[in-house]
Amino acid sequence: MAKKLMKGCEAIAEAAIQAGCRYFFGYPITPQNDIPEYMSRRLPQVGGCFLQAESELAAINMVYGAGGAGARAMTSSSSPGISLKQEGISTCAAAEVPCVIVNMMRGGPGLGNIQASQGDYFQACKGGGHGDYRCVVYAPSSIQETCDLMPKAFDTADTYRTPVIILADGLIGQMMEPVELKMNDNPTMPEKPWACQGWDPKGDRPRAVINSLYIETEILDDLMTRLNARYDMIREKEVMVEKYKTEGAQFVLCAYGTVARVCKAAVRILDEKGIKCGLVRPITLWPFPTKDVHDVIAQDSVKGALTVEISNGQMVEDIRLAVNGEKPVDFMGKGGSIIPTAEEIADRVMEIMRRA
Amino acid sequence: MKTYWVLVGSFGSGKSELALNLALEKAKEGPCTLVDLDVINPYFRTSERGDVLEPAGVELIMPPFALDKIEIMSLSAKVFSAFSPGEGNVIFDIGGDDVGSIALGQYKARFDQIPPDRLNVLFIVNPMRPTAADFDSAMDTLAKIQYVSRLNVTGIVNNANLSVETDVSHLAEGYALMKQLSEATGIPVWGTCGKEDVLHSFKLYVKEHGLDPTYVGRYQPIEVMMHRSWDKFLKEGL
Repeated sequence: MAKKLMKGCEAIAEAAIQAGCRYFFGYPITPQNDIPEYMSRRLPQVGGCFLQAESELAAINMVYGAGGAGARAMTSSSSPGISLKQEGISTCAAAEVPCVIVNMMRGGPGLGNIQASQGDYFQACKGGGHGDYRCVVYAPSSIQETCDLMPKAFDTADTYRTPVIILADGLIGQMMEPVELKMNDNPTMPEKPWACQGWDPKGDRPRAVINSLYIETEILDDLMTRLNARYDMIREKEVMVEKYKTEGAQFVLCAYGTVARVCKAAVRILDEKGIKCGLVRPITLWPFPTKDVHDVIAQDSVKGALTVEISNGQMVEDIRLAVNGEKPVDFMGKGGSIIPTAEEIADRVMEIMRRA
Repeated sequence: MKTYWVLVGSFGSGKSELALNLALEKAKEGPCTLVDLDVINPYFRTSERGDVLEPAGVELIMPPFALDKIEIMSLSAKVFSAFSPGEGNVIFDIGGDDVGSIALGQYKARFDQIPPDRLNVLFIVNPMRPTAADFDSAMDTLAKIQYVSRLNVTGIVNNANLSVETDVSHLAEGYALMKQLSEATGIPVWGTCGKEDVLHSFKLYVKEHGLDPTYVGRYQPIEVMMHRSWDKFLKEGL
């Protein structure tokens, strides 16, 4: 398909449809409203179902139902709405129901504001709901990348029977960029023999049961062992990271999402001033690219690193764990949806370099 | 007597960019007021560019919520001052689609008092947007906008663009759609928008391919103001 000028939210919705998503359940909240709006128009055209639920909780429970029946199902919301969905996400993880959840992050805590934020990193990567589970978390940095990640997100969800989160800041949802969508009228779907699609009493297949209640300790432990083995496989196979001019860098910036783009602009400014600076950008926030981050920052040439976020410092903890004290890691960021400019980031890097 | 410019169109067709550029251009000739009537979009609003507009002498009328980034879609009573007698130009930047144009309906009585030669209602079209890609969808949007805004469109505008990746082929594609729309509706083409360099290439293209100037209209240069400084990194894989 020829390139189109698309808003992030529209592109995510269309890319999900192209990936075979036919069921969307949602509830309005800014800055993600364009996703349900687009889905409400498009899904009926492709024989799918859009439903505006009575609440966020109802929406994620509908996703649980559709996913449990083997369909590719999705919901989207923004920070406060994602908090409301956490019980359902935990249930999906326990019942091994594949699904995709989009979070267009806005400023928090509480109702916060409606501008872009990255304050939900902890929520997405370190639990969110109760219990001992993980979600795969993708953090796109452009609208094209978001489109490209959608089929990947659905495939990962199906392969590992796990909830997958697209964690984007509100700007990714609201800005427009040229994108090329891979149109696919007939996406291939994996077989899902575990799905609840009706039972034949004369057939060989046992009843499919979707459940998250495991009263007996041994049976719950079986589930946890199975999930853990899967999480290990995800850690091994699914890590995605971009390294930008990191080879032999004197300094390394760490950022994801929109901020990574501002950081690239900062790298260019620093380059003009003769400072060799690189950027390491996790694309999967879980599994976290621990080894890549370590190997980039621990290079002999590197004097230090700076993590930049639209938050008061969340991913920086994983960066520091990865670096394990081998190099100093500074943090720059603000709550209140204030995005630092490329010049501010470059100034901060120069200040740190002077100190070192 | 004031001249009025009402910019309507599909969501994301480029109304705000044209509104900003038109306002800065008209401010050089005399008094100019820009009314931000967008009740749809909380991000990327003309109101955000008060820093450029005010020093250039453009009076900005914006909804009370615009810069608080909250979602109370109420309109300022100050909008009525734009209809008071005076000189110069008044530009209305309207939210996208028919949903956005609803904001205009309540001012019908005021618009009715403006002589037809003083009221320009421009329908901005960007065929690179998926929701406005073809003749049928553009016609559909045009009809809906005219219905809810209670205004008749007086000119259509070719604003074909793919943001930073725009080239002359996009404007040529826009031209074909303008011709179709203009022939079907009888509404003249007001103009063709683009960044200076693209517009220049399009001028040559028009001559070379013998395009009918009726469907090109005026060449309206656009200086992009709503983008962020890091947009240029698109080409480097982001």
